[in-house]
Amino acid sequence: MAAGNIKILVIEDEPTIIEFLRTGLKYEGYNVLIASEGRRGLEIAQHTAVDLIILDLMLPDIDGMEICKKLRIEGNKVPIIILTAKTSVADRVSGLDTGADDYITKPFSFDELVARVRALLRRTGNELEKTVLKTDDITLNVETREVMKGTRPVHLTPTEFSLLELFLRHPKRVFTRETLLNRIFGYDFAGDTNIVDVHISHLREKIQDKPPKLIRTVYGTGYALQPENE
Amino acid sequence: MLCSPKMNSMQWKNISIRFQLSILYSLLLVTLLSLFSFGVFVNTKNFLINNTAVRLKAQAKPVIQQWLYLNREIKHEIDAGYLKEKAHLLAVDLTSRDTAALVLDKHGSILATGRQLKEEPVPVPPNRSYYEKSLSGNNDVSYTERNNGHLFLVVLIPLRKAPGSPAVLGVLQLSTSLSSIENILIRQKTILIAGIILVFIAGALLGLWITTTSLKELRIMASACNEISMGDFEKRIKIPKRNDEIGRLADAFNYMIGRIKDLFDAQSRFVVNAAHELRTPLTAIQGSLEVLMRGAQDDPQAISRLTQGMYREVTRLTRMCEQLLDLSRIKNSENARRERINIKKYLEDFAQYAGIIAEGRKLTVTGEPDLYISADPDSIKQVLFNLTDNAIQHTGREGIIIFDCKSSGDKVKISISDNGSGISSEDIPHIFEPFYRGDPSRSRRRGGTGLGLTIVKTIVEANSGKIEVISKPDEKTVFTITFPLS
Repeated sequence: MAAGNIKILVIEDEPTIIEFLRTGLKYEGYNVLIASEGRRGLEIAQHTAVDLIILDLMLPDIDGMEICKKLRIEGNKVPIIILTAKTSVADRVSGLDTGADDYITKPFSFDELVARVRALLRRTGNELEKTVLKTDDITLNVETREVMKGTRPVHLTPTEFSLLELFLRHPKRVFTRETLLNRIFGYDFAGDTNIVDVHISHLREKIQDKPPKLIRTVYGTGYALQPENE
Repeated sequence: MLCSPKMNSMQWKNISIRFQLSILYSLLLVTLLSLFSFGVFVNTKNFLINNTAVRLKAQAKPVIQQWLYLNREIKHEIDAGYLKEKAHLLAVDLTSRDTAALVLDKHGSILATGRQLKEEPVPVPPNRSYYEKSLSGNNDVSYTERNNGHLFLVVLIPLRKAPGSPAVLGVLQLSTSLSSIENILIRQKTILIAGIILVFIAGALLGLWITTTSLKELRIMASACNEISMGDFEKRIKIPKRNDEIGRLADAFNYMIGRIKDLFDAQSRFVVNAAHELRTPLTAIQGSLEVLMRGAQDDPQAISRLTQGMYREVTRLTRMCEQLLDLSRIKNSENARRERINIKKYLEDFAQYAGIIAEGRKLTVTGEPDLYISADPDSIKQVLFNLTDNAIQHTGREGIIIFDCKSSGDKVKISISDNGSGISSEDIPHIFEPFYRGDPSRSRRRGGTGLGLTIVKTIVEANSGKIEVISKPDEKTVFTITFPLS
């Protein structure tokens, strides 16, 4: 899968935040590097080709702004998202002025962070962050929201589109019904997991998924995308 | 501006103080001046009239002497016949342009009148009661009487058989017009009334001016108060330096606003810092939960790591909550239970207990034995614990922490020193502020809440103590607590 080759450097000192960023971003398919000190982070950024940096401003040794400034002075154009607890407009402006590409304030939603990471990678033209996802004869364009089965366009509801996108992003991963419910309907959706089965069957119908199925049922667990050619 | 009788107290209070004061002042002034003027007026009147009476008597005396007694060589006493004989001469001699003279006999009938010329005044008809008073031998009978629209002074002189004799043969009545005195008095009255009116007007205006200028500062203060109550705590009363009540009020007011502003700022800083402190654990918990729900829940290892992290954060939040409650409880319990504590012994016991958390650091107790302080032992334990914890955080495992106590006058100085990383001089003034972190990460990673030193200071002050800190970066830090000797 494509995102697996994208390297994200997280420079952050809070262990619990490090933990969920590492787990969450890895789950999204990114390669995550962690630096819990500013100097170490700067070193990694200087010596390793990373695709994106998530940078906390409040660090024990050097200020996040300093890291950002240094990298830009050195001509490093790596996209940087700043994490901070400061909310004032002046802080945001000065953050962006030092060369950061985006700014997210604590407390933030992980979903938002992921969305921003993707958007920033696309915007900065990272070839690894694909806007067109492909498997077998299914093509999904994230930006135009078009789905093609071979040469024939397929019309999907937003729910079905999200399901298919999720599967295409994480081929072979087994998603439980609970996870699918959370991802598609939101974390506070209090419906029955059967609804997932209903949407999967609609999706299968629309993409004419015939056995051996692309979207496979994993008995007792959930669903997974299983490309034929692999 | 005078008070109308209908004016009730409410309306009076609605008038500004400067009007109230100037009205009261001028009324008081006018009342005093009126009383004084009245006194002067009455006194002047009496003086002038008495003076005239004395003059008349003085004029009469030699004339009476001459006509009645001087030529009497044979007899020492005169009789009624002789009086009748000489009465005319006497009266004529005593009559002048402004004085009329009458001689009356024992029965009140006129023996002679001195008026001969037209321009000489007409005598006032005798008054029976005064006449009899004089006839009875009273030398000082004089009265005023209005006749034909003019005021006259009438003086009655008893005519005796011989000077000093008790037997009175008749009465000499002298009357003179008081018109000139009356004119003087009328003029004086006019001057006094005009003066009183002038004084009232001038007094009111002057009073108004004085109160207006001296109360100007009060109006400035009132408008400053308004601006401050709108939320402008930068506002101060700006008046020229003065040492009177108003100057002192302005100074006290400015000081008060400064104090309120400080408290207000501290309060809002506290709220901002507290909210800021909540951000990190909340971000961590929210992020972990989202990551779990997005799919990490399908991986048991991820579940365990993320839930452990969340538990740590929730524990931190709980501790922060407890410490915030502690802080307000300590602040509200100045007179907590106090005991006499032998401080050296207490420090030794504490060092033994603290050895468990010291992780190999060396704890030493030095100082004078048998010094006593009066404090709440549990609170003191918390103070020592927080300071020790702080010292442990700032030293490596080879750190040395020294507890010391010594007397200094009527005080006991307890110090806790370490040879750790120290506190930078720009952090020193702030370290007792809630949530202040000199080093943004170190204490937080150990689960610190940012309230430890704030609690220490609050407890020390609640037990009538003081706390100071001296620090040399990378060398040592010394916290010194001073309590009164018990």
